[in-house]
Amino acid sequence: MGVQAELSERLNLGALYEMWMVFRRNKAALTGLILFTAIVLMAVFAPYLAPYNPYESVGAPFQPPSDKHPLGTNDVGQDLLSELIYGARISLFIGFVAAVVGTFIGTFIGLSAGYFGGLVDEALMRFTDMWLSMPTLLFTIFLAAVITRIGTFPMLYGIILAIALTAWPSVARMVRSAVLSLKESLYVEAARAIGVPSRRILVKHILPNVAPIIIIEVITRMAIAMLTEASLSFLGLGDPTAKSWGMMIHYAMIRNAITLGMWWWFLPPGIMISLSVLAFMLMGLGLEEYFNPRLRYKEQ
Amino acid sequence: MYRIVTSIITFFAVVTLVFFLSRLTGDPLAELANDPRITPEVLESIKRLFGLDKPVYVQYIDYLKNLFRGELGFSLHYMRPVMDVILERLPYTLALLVPSITISNLLAYRIGTELAWRRGSRLEVTTLTLSIFLRSVPYFWLAIVFLYIFSVKLEWTPLYGAMSPGMSPGLNWEFIRDYLWHYVLPFFVLVFRETIAFLFYVRSAMIDVLGEDYIVTARAKGLPDKVIKRSYVARNGILPIVTILGMRYAFLIDGAVLTETVFSYPGTGRLVFESIYNRDFWLLQGVVVILAASVIIVNFIIDLIYAVLDPRVKYG
Repeated sequence: MGVQAELSERLNLGALYEMWMVFRRNKAALTGLILFTAIVLMAVFAPYLAPYNPYESVGAPFQPPSDKHPLGTNDVGQDLLSELIYGARISLFIGFVAAVVGTFIGTFIGLSAGYFGGLVDEALMRFTDMWLSMPTLLFTIFLAAVITRIGTFPMLYGIILAIALTAWPSVARMVRSAVLSLKESLYVEAARAIGVPSRRILVKHILPNVAPIIIIEVITRMAIAMLTEASLSFLGLGDPTAKSWGMMIHYAMIRNAITLGMWWWFLPPGIMISLSVLAFMLMGLGLEEYFNPRLRYKEQ
Repeated sequence: MYRIVTSIITFFAVVTLVFFLSRLTGDPLAELANDPRITPEVLESIKRLFGLDKPVYVQYIDYLKNLFRGELGFSLHYMRPVMDVILERLPYTLALLVPSITISNLLAYRIGTELAWRRGSRLEVTTLTLSIFLRSVPYFWLAIVFLYIFSVKLEWTPLYGAMSPGMSPGLNWEFIRDYLWHYVLPFFVLVFRETIAFLFYVRSAMIDVLGEDYIVTARAKGLPDKVIKRSYVARNGILPIVTILGMRYAFLIDGAVLTETVFSYPGTGRLVFESIYNRDFWLLQGVVVILAASVIIVNFIIDLIYAVLDPRVKYG
């Protein structure tokens, strides 16, 4: 079977059905999928779900939970439940874009290193290893601080860029080792023997076969990107006009809500972050099982 | 010798990256220029004082020269040299990091080996599931929950700081008790989170060892399980674990940044939060350089240890 045919078969409905069967059998993956769907729905329908506009002050500040404000209000009288619901949009958006961009960079570097080998490989992998050995969060913080100093650059995209720029090294390593083994496969050798240019081999023959790894990586990166975003926002590197869950906890901290015991302010956003990250981790595990059938039957 | 050279190259790469990133993206005095107390004339003289009127490459050479003299710039918030501020805070962070990396890794090593040994058991499955849940929880939020439970609700531990106000460091019982009282919660958070993160790695490293031929041989010889576990599995599994200790240290630094912020612990990690809060960019830059340097040094030491542990490795 040709690579093209295999790819088109993977993308058709039969494959989707098979994927669903794997998810249905795997309880963990199914939980992840349900959680993920719920959070996405919450983000999409935020305007209908939220009782108030999260950017308006709608009551007295520092209110404890009540019928009118189920999660109380913050220091400027904004409704915390509405903030929480709208926060899903920002947190998911940043996590998603950063994960996609980061995986893209990593794939590009990994493909080039693995395929061209030699000096290119050596140089790229040295750089990757150096990046990997550094404290990731610390460097993301530094990058975010540097990028957001450029006043004209929108803060939200600055944060996304910073996260993406530190998220790629492990993707690069994974893609590289996959390419190294694919490079030795017969059909790549055959393609090279009949003189197919290397760019075409990369795009047509190697890329489709590393696609599963890339999809799993995007999902795992998503979990990590959301955690990084939360940490950055918590430390004060976030866009105050687009409050994410991490940003809510940041404001809770600097307004002393933690030491004053206002649990309704800082507990819910943390729970939401944890649930989203968990959803992506569980789905990642499920997909790994789908693409790697050897794992699939082990548990039975 | 080879390792020394690569360590130095890495250090220069990091330092150069930090320099150019910070210079290319903005005026190092941007924060000052917005300050209404600073007139253009004062700004001009500050620029001359720090050599910011020279071309970038001259500034870069000056920056490297200053680094060798241990100068990292000037903190605009503290109005003191960055190096002084960092050195003052560094002992607190080291006192947190060194014991917690030691204890958590020993714990993870013990538990991870045990899990690999009992692969497929109920205990293993429960521990792994639990650790997936715990790894989904943001680091800083875990610290917040601990702070809320133990300091706010139960009032067992203090709300903030490394010592009570008015306490001065000294070798007396009163100070040591007060210090430990403040120390215990941040320390526990670091150990807890690091053990969970490392557990997975130890487990899979040990599972790899379990599949080796010499384990099969040992079993076939009828050696008792205890001997196989201790002298065969744990011994050989230590090599891949030592290799990534440097990465664990880097992860712990990230943890210290968050944990110290939550507990208002006056270490280098909290300086990161403070420098963001006060827009003290030079301080942030200094902290990044110092902490990155510490990672490089730790990695270097680990390579030396590795060479001792594995006689096959010889560094020329």
